[in-house]
Amino acid sequence: MLIQFLRERYNYRHLIWILAWVDFKQRYKNSVLGYLWSLLEPLLMLGILYIVFSNLMKNPVEHYPLFLLMGIIMWSFFSRATTSSLASIRFKPSLIKKVYFPRDILVISNCTTALLMSLFESVVFIMFMAIFRIPLSLNIAYLPCIIFLFYILTLGVSLALATLNVYYQDIQYIWALVLQLGFFATPVMYPLSVFPTSFLKILSYNPLAQIIFIARDVTLYSKVPNAASLAFVIVIAFVILAIGYAIFARLEPRFAEEL
Amino acid sequence: MQYSPDWNPGLRRSYNMAVIETRHLDKVFRIPHEKRNTLFQALTGFFTPMPFETFHALKDISISIEDGEMLGIIGDNGSGKSTFLKILSRIIIPTSGSVLIKKRVTPFLELGVGFNTDFTAAENIKIYGIIMGLTPREIDDKADDILEFADLTRFRDTRLRNFSSGMQVRLAFSTAIQTNPEILLLDEVLAVGDMDFQKKCLQELERFKQEGVTIIFVSHDLDAVKKHCERTMLLNHGEQVMLGETNEVIEKYTVPL
Repeated sequence: MLIQFLRERYNYRHLIWILAWVDFKQRYKNSVLGYLWSLLEPLLMLGILYIVFSNLMKNPVEHYPLFLLMGIIMWSFFSRATTSSLASIRFKPSLIKKVYFPRDILVISNCTTALLMSLFESVVFIMFMAIFRIPLSLNIAYLPCIIFLFYILTLGVSLALATLNVYYQDIQYIWALVLQLGFFATPVMYPLSVFPTSFLKILSYNPLAQIIFIARDVTLYSKVPNAASLAFVIVIAFVILAIGYAIFARLEPRFAEEL
Repeated sequence: MQYSPDWNPGLRRSYNMAVIETRHLDKVFRIPHEKRNTLFQALTGFFTPMPFETFHALKDISISIEDGEMLGIIGDNGSGKSTFLKILSRIIIPTSGSVLIKKRVTPFLELGVGFNTDFTAAENIKIYGIIMGLTPREIDDKADDILEFADLTRFRDTRLRNFSSGMQVRLAFSTAIQTNPEILLLDEVLAVGDMDFQKKCLQELERFKQEGVTIIFVSHDLDAVKKHCERTMLLNHGEQVMLGETNEVIEKYTVPL
């Protein structure tokens, strides 16, 4: 059954790709200036957070600008993918009511657009890596695998949100709030050392925090990822994807009637 | 009325090869009195039952549609014609009964095929073609023909939101028919475009018929049904009143009991 499911999604790969690509171009208004403009957003955020936090923190973090930038890029992938997926089914009634294709394709392509945007923003990150002369190690080979797990986890959350948003219109407002809280509950801008150990315990259950830690370890600090956190992330990512698909599969048949 | 396949063997291209088969198809819509569409309402109203009306849109529809035939469906508004087509195109699922479909279905429902008005004509054609199972290369080859048929070649890179409704419908229709349809579901297609365009469409439909494309033709235009369909189904309040030779069915529909 799983193989058949994967094969069907594979057969729709062109559709996922074209939807993601057209959307990607649209966001940047099809212009060179649009692409450059979009790079300003993470840079601006980086500038502000850097000025504030580098003065606030007593113990400076090694490679703080890059530490921050990596957090910002990864967080905005999650927030962008989930936010755009929220609308992906609900605000496409013309597509849902006129032609059949597996509806999760819409969510997959939205997450893919967000991934493309984040990869594009990573150009700035790579430039910073070169400017600050960060030594690279073989541990960077873990990065694609971490990106994959992050994508899987985000897709699971997005599927659940996109499905529920068809039935409950306040999900989008609730989610905007959750994201705002999540930004502070995820160590995007601060190192863990600012917290007492009791608080760290709670934070370690945040899968996003774990993913960001691992990504920073392998790229910035030439460290091998902590086996326990990696195992935790792998399990959580697939569990969330399974939950997302379970919610989707249960409510999907009546999308066209509900919209 | 039972339909027998040998009533006019000259019109049949193949025998006993059903591409669509429905058995005892039922569709009941639940229409709640008061819609709960926030999570808050859903949680607070979890223990109080939600009052709703039921609407029986289709009742026990059993039909077998043969490969290459052009079937007409007629009936008053609200008789279930569009619901039937939506079930055949997998957009809504039946409450009970079975549907068997052996070929690719190209629906043209409510004058549209699911275009996104934020995208350009070329992008929409590409997305639609891919949904219909064409490869990106195949659809690139066809894009010019589609635009030319719709007489919209100049507007290739214009966003659909800037199209008039007539232009949108023309584009939708040409896209649907140029993607190698195997089974075409056409709902009120004669509302598409001006006289010239309609004529072009009907010519195209005749060509499809010659080529053996299965067409299901829902229309209020009884003359068109009479002209193009050998067999017709009459629906009334969701019930399959009659299925048989077009002239007899139309007679039953137009002459009140």
